[in-house]
Amino acid sequence: MNPVNPPAAAEGRAETVRQWRPSLVNLRPLLRRALFVVLLLVTLALIWEGLKWVGGNPWRPETNPLGIAHDPPLRLKVASDLNLPHLWDIAAAFGNPARRNGPPLGQILFDASLFTFREAVVGFFLGGLLGFFLGVLFAHVGLLEQGCMPYVVASQTIPILAIAPMVIIWLKAGWISVAVIAAYLTFFPVTINTLRGLRSPDPMAVELMHSYAASRWDTLWKLRVPAALPYIFTALKLSATASVVGAIIGELPSGIRDGLGGAILNFNSYYISGPSRLWAAVIASAFVGIGFYLLVTLVEVLVLRSRPLANGQGG
Amino acid sequence: METPVVALNGVNKIFNHGSPNQTVALKDIDLVVEPGAFISIIGPSGCGKSTLLRLVGDLIQPTTGEVQVKGKPARQARLNQDYGIVFQAPVLFEWRSILKNIQLPLELRGSSREERDRRARDLLGLVELTGFEKHYPWQLSGGMQQRASIARALAIRPELLLMDEPFGALDEMTRERMNMELHNIWRQTETTVLFVTHSIAEAVFLSTKIVVMSARPGEIMQIVDVDIPIPRGEKTRQETAYFEVEREVRGWLRRAEGYRA
Repeated sequence: MNPVNPPAAAEGRAETVRQWRPSLVNLRPLLRRALFVVLLLVTLALIWEGLKWVGGNPWRPETNPLGIAHDPPLRLKVASDLNLPHLWDIAAAFGNPARRNGPPLGQILFDASLFTFREAVVGFFLGGLLGFFLGVLFAHVGLLEQGCMPYVVASQTIPILAIAPMVIIWLKAGWISVAVIAAYLTFFPVTINTLRGLRSPDPMAVELMHSYAASRWDTLWKLRVPAALPYIFTALKLSATASVVGAIIGELPSGIRDGLGGAILNFNSYYISGPSRLWAAVIASAFVGIGFYLLVTLVEVLVLRSRPLANGQGG
Repeated sequence: METPVVALNGVNKIFNHGSPNQTVALKDIDLVVEPGAFISIIGPSGCGKSTLLRLVGDLIQPTTGEVQVKGKPARQARLNQDYGIVFQAPVLFEWRSILKNIQLPLELRGSSREERDRRARDLLGLVELTGFEKHYPWQLSGGMQQRASIARALAIRPELLLMDEPFGALDEMTRERMNMELHNIWRQTETTVLFVTHSIAEAVFLSTKIVVMSARPGEIMQIVDVDIPIPRGEKTRQETAYFEVEREVRGWLRRAEGYRA
């Protein structure tokens, strides 16, 4: 039987209830969304394994956790164990050593993820600052915008794979060079959205600042930048994932083998002997990208919490 | 004689001057506004009454003629922050609390934090928004937002308040209440007000003088004196003097509608 709470304890509880403050984010929609994500993942997994059930290689009871022996009625190339490894094989790959007597693959991928994440974060900040600076510059000097914008756009049409080796050779700076490559992918959306956001205030708001004889500097920091923040955060969320892609691609020609790019390159060459390792590396990359995205989203929610619709912008 | 708060001398405003589609918005405007007056500008839509207000605020410049505020060129007056302005929309910054919105002009002028806080709280009392310091604009009704924007305009204790159809977007009941409040604020602060409106009732209730303008090109047709005792209140709208002025203004407006230069 449960002991009856003494009055003091009951009071203590009341105290904690009173001290409880509503959290910044409403929890219920968040939970609903999490549930939705899980359901979606389960559905995807079912489709994945369903495809292998219909057209994969024969299921052997000793290799699958369900202990099922099954001979799929069809032989589809996409569903073969080489092209589409079983999910449990991919999961198991995290625990198995990548090479004989080495640490488990999960450990290697975790370290690689951190390494790549560092490059991505530094690139994100470099690119974000450059993008913001260019946006502010273009917003104030129309001539510069007209003159430079075509080159900024052109810079984004050059494949990153062509730029990356040059940057590596020019800078000779190891992982910093990779961060610069990540920044190259990052700055563009920030420039475009900063420019757009800085021009978003109501003309009356600009006139209001003018009526108070506000300097351009004051108008920038007290009106234009705050008004641009929702636009800038939209760009930063794009940039967060782009910077991870940039970091991974930047590692390829740089000879850096400590990051996810190196891991992907490595497991790519041994795909025939162990496809699940490459899949594991892909999953790790996705986690870094998603994690970074969520981090930026969290900062966005915190920064924009006082605005209307702030809760709706979480996605 | 005291220096007039506003003096317009032979002011013309032509938009797209010199191009084939040029528009004469204002023509030969002469206007003198004495200290402490409440002047309404009324006229058919598109007659340039807002343009007139924006000229006084140095938000646009006249094509010819001169605009003086407190005996200085309008530009100098703007740079000295000699006036406060209220637009048709409240134009509050959504990322600032009501208190911070009201403090904006004081921040730009470099007032100390204590000064800003004290002044903003006084103003919230004046516009009856005490208790809403920490609210954000979007949490307030349209009328309350406009009250906050009036408080912001008054923050720097301007001798001149420019108001461009400030209650145009409000419903009739709210508008009448706001008229009452504005009347009281005007009496308490002794500010000179230049008020653009298209509502005859509003103009008559609030003003000491009503400037009736003609349709484009905007010219001053008539300046109607409003001899209704101050302070005005609930009963003012039922007095004979009120109806007489209203009839007179309406008559001039009729002529203004039909009038073409």
